[in-house]
Amino acid sequence: MKNIFFSIIALATVAAITVSCNQSSNKNSDQQANDSTTISGTQNLPSSTQNDTDSTMASIDTTAKKIEQQEVKEVAQNFSIAPIVKDYLALKNALVSDNDKAAANAGKQLYTTLKNVDMKAIPANKHKQYMEIAEDAQENAEHIGDNAGKIAHQREHLASLSKDVSDLIALFGTTQKLYQDYCPMYNDGKGAVWISEAKAIKNPYYGSQMLTCGSVKKEF
Amino acid sequence: MAIVLFIFIAIQFYQPALNVDKGQVYTTDFTQFYKMPVQIKAMFQTSCYDCHSNNTKYVWYDYVQPARALVENHIKNAKEDLNFNEWGTYSNRKQERLLNSIKEQIETKQMPLSSYTLMHTDAKLNDEQIKTLTDWLKEQE
Repeated sequence: MKNIFFSIIALATVAAITVSCNQSSNKNSDQQANDSTTISGTQNLPSSTQNDTDSTMASIDTTAKKIEQQEVKEVAQNFSIAPIVKDYLALKNALVSDNDKAAANAGKQLYTTLKNVDMKAIPANKHKQYMEIAEDAQENAEHIGDNAGKIAHQREHLASLSKDVSDLIALFGTTQKLYQDYCPMYNDGKGAVWISEAKAIKNPYYGSQMLTCGSVKKEF
Repeated sequence: MAIVLFIFIAIQFYQPALNVDKGQVYTTDFTQFYKMPVQIKAMFQTSCYDCHSNNTKYVWYDYVQPARALVENHIKNAKEDLNFNEWGTYSNRKQERLLNSIKEQIETKQMPLSSYTLMHTDAKLNDEQIKTLTDWLKEQE
């Protein structure tokens, strides 16, 4: 019992000391920050002499920017959503064959692919739209990856993800022949689309239960 | 015994920032974004907002470690997925997906979490409440 009592007291003192030490060191750093601001204030005074160098710097900057823009344009033409589509199709096919574990792995793969997309490669005028779609797709992929064993939940996210991928294809186009299929039953009769690489219907929302239910809605 | 007690006291000194907003009003809030009956608004706030908003109504044991760290981590993750206070800032695409997810999660009784309603009994939704909420959510889609 004595031991316990002592340890509590010891701990309390240690804690009190560390807390008070932290506070005093905070005060010190505050003061230092104040000091440095006053110094930088005085440094700004001879601004007239700096103007000349500023303007030359600015012209260098603009040429650098021009070069950068040219590079961006070149890369932009190379941007392709093919890796995203490839991972999506693997995920979709896993759900066609009712395989929740394979779907989870494919979801994780898609998540990584989306995360590693080089944002600089995307044309500036499509940047905002891409960001919005990709953010959503990434969250869907993450949830599918985290929900092995809950195939119904994975399929809910597939419905949302399919819409994302469909919009990505509409936005960036595809070199691969793709089909947008439609299942009218899913989500309480609200319906859902999916993207397929083959013309034959293989429904990922119901798998073996209703494999051939659905129709081709669009061809890309 | 002494060691256990020592550790227990030691970890009490780790107190991460509380998830409280001191009564801030959000123009982007979910309950502002949609027109909803008062009782539906109350259900969302009682059953969802403790984790999915910037303001948690803590109970006394939430301040005691290790529960404190667990709760705070849980809230952080919950808000990353869905923060009702920030609903208006989400894209249409995201809102649509979340509306559907919220409906499914409530309908299949995965939310609110049973580990949460175990202690927060007022947050538990009965079948009638679930139907009211999911019917309303379906209308918004």
